[in-house]
Amino acid sequence: MSNRSLITVVALLMLCSLLLVNSQYQARRLFIELERAQLRQRNLETEWDQLQYEQSALAKHSRIDAIARASLGMSVPGSARTQYLSVGAR
Amino acid sequence: MMRAPTRKAAARGLAFSASPVLAVKLPAWRSRLTLFLLFGAFVAVAVRAFWLQAMSTDFLQRQGAYRYARTLELPAVRGKITDRYGEVMASSLPVKAIWAIPEDVETDKDKLRQLAQLLDTTVPELNKKLGSDRSFVYLKRQVEEKTVEQILALDIKGIHTRNEYRRYYPSGLVAAHVLGFTNVEDIGQEGIERAQQKLLGGVTGSRRVIKDNIGRVIEDIGYIREPQDGTDLTLSIDGKIQYIAFTELQKAVEQHHAKAGAIVVLDVKTGEVLAMANLPTYNPNTRQGLTGAQLRNRVMTDTYEPGSTLKPFTVALALERGLVTPATVLDTPAKLSIGPASIGDSHAHASTMSVAQIIQQSSNVGTVRMAMKCEPREMWDMFTSVGFGQVPRTGFPGEVAGRLRPYKTWRPIEQATMSYGHGISVSLIQVARAYMIFARNGEMIPLSFMKLAQPPVAQRVVSERTAQQMRSMMEKVVGPGGTAPLAQVRGYRVAGKTGTAHKLEGGRYVNKYVASFVGFAPISDPRIIIAVMVDEPTAGGHFGGQVAAPVFSNVAASALRAMNVPPDASVENVIMPTQMITESM
Repeated sequence: MSNRSLITVVALLMLCSLLLVNSQYQARRLFIELERAQLRQRNLETEWDQLQYEQSALAKHSRIDAIARASLGMSVPGSARTQYLSVGAR
Repeated sequence: MMRAPTRKAAARGLAFSASPVLAVKLPAWRSRLTLFLLFGAFVAVAVRAFWLQAMSTDFLQRQGAYRYARTLELPAVRGKITDRYGEVMASSLPVKAIWAIPEDVETDKDKLRQLAQLLDTTVPELNKKLGSDRSFVYLKRQVEEKTVEQILALDIKGIHTRNEYRRYYPSGLVAAHVLGFTNVEDIGQEGIERAQQKLLGGVTGSRRVIKDNIGRVIEDIGYIREPQDGTDLTLSIDGKIQYIAFTELQKAVEQHHAKAGAIVVLDVKTGEVLAMANLPTYNPNTRQGLTGAQLRNRVMTDTYEPGSTLKPFTVALALERGLVTPATVLDTPAKLSIGPASIGDSHAHASTMSVAQIIQQSSNVGTVRMAMKCEPREMWDMFTSVGFGQVPRTGFPGEVAGRLRPYKTWRPIEQATMSYGHGISVSLIQVARAYMIFARNGEMIPLSFMKLAQPPVAQRVVSERTAQQMRSMMEKVVGPGGTAPLAQVRGYRVAGKTGTAHKLEGGRYVNKYVASFVGFAPISDPRIIIAVMVDEPTAGGHFGGQVAAPVFSNVAASALRAMNVPPDASVENVIMPTQMITESM
């Protein structure tokens, strides 16, 4: 094998190994990014559950009932004070 | 000048070739030995290399992987339970378990005291745990995030946390018996949580990863098993009606100083259970000191002698068989003798009554008159086809069949008492479901605790004509001449039947009562069936018409409004009688 081709092969080998290092690095970087995004997704899901729960806890009927009656002074309208309207009727 | 070269030679030393050491003759075996030893050493290295590379590779690779690879557990979240409108009724939220390696714990008295306070325990209690010779102890499980932060801020060596989930029930005790609860391992113990454990419980996943020195995950190796979160369930329960039913029942139980109470609301069109409540109840969020009475689900798992709420089925059978019509007048003496026993009514009435009046005034004698015209087998068929003695098959844990003995063993007196609901035991949900035949024009449909996309297929039990006749007779029960005028609802026509039964204790009837009312509304196109049962009311009356009927009225009024059902009567439809009619037991 001539000297020149040997040098070419060695250079190619160097290049390839550098590329390998680079791609490995990229892979790790992207992997970590993915991990972070997944963690964020999980956290957001948890937060969504938490918020849904809080909404239910705040909107629970006993609480609404108590607030409406006690602090807002509301009461159930008797049927004498209720007018029913039906669609299409005059 | 002669000395100089000599000194020079001395400084340079002797020439190597002139060294006297070279002249020493060593024995030949010494060099051979050295050569042999060196060779031997090389062989040893080669053998060792071969051993490591070829013979114990697996072991070594495993050990290597053990040092950089980790199996991560991927927790699955238990499914949410929502009501029919998507309002969350049970949800799992992340919390932490606090655990310790007792050997590693190093702390001072002050920190220990603070820790004990944060963990809701005492210092001696904590010391006992930390003094144990196990290598792992839970200090407390399911600790909320805020407390965990405070505990970690104490910075005690040897105390660690672990992620876990805790189940929260925003509706608290209102829907306790529907939902049930889970244990600390997130496994359903009661109610829907238990019935639907398979669907709700997720499957924990896992993955193999490489971690770097600071614990970051660098790479996935090998398999990944994705965690499967539990399925979210949408119940048939209507949160608003559930709340109304619970509070009205609570009011009645308190007002009448009753031992217990139960209520169930069914959707007539779909067979969905809209509400189910029991008293006494418990808070599924904090379940300390639960008693059996609190856990009892009187709608599903308890049976009782229903009393008069069963009369309509006897009458429906007589109508269906063409033995009577609503206008047929029957002899109703004050006492009716059957064998050695006699049956009477608790209130005076005319010596002849029409079938409609018998229902309206809940006459035992009149009902027995009709039952005596029927064969035992026919009655048994009727009771069985409306679901008595049968497990309701709603999928709810612990549901019972009740007791309806085979008709061949019935003696005449038993057939007579059964016609007005004694000598037979049923659960409240069975009675509520059985009333489907009146509310649905003679049809029965199965019940469901899950929201249904389509109404189930119905099965005809009695003719439409019979059902309608029964409906108009049962409407009179809540009228001024009936046993339950308190069940009337403003704006809606309702129908129902009261029940007041003596309780059986040790095989004898005692002066303790079960007051009940089962009804449906509105009559023109029934939408809901409500069954109420109050156990041992001791104050303010004990009749179904006094105790249970008002609960029905209040719940029906609110529920129909909540469901946007247009009224089918004028608002002045409520007429109260001057004198109440008491019911026979």
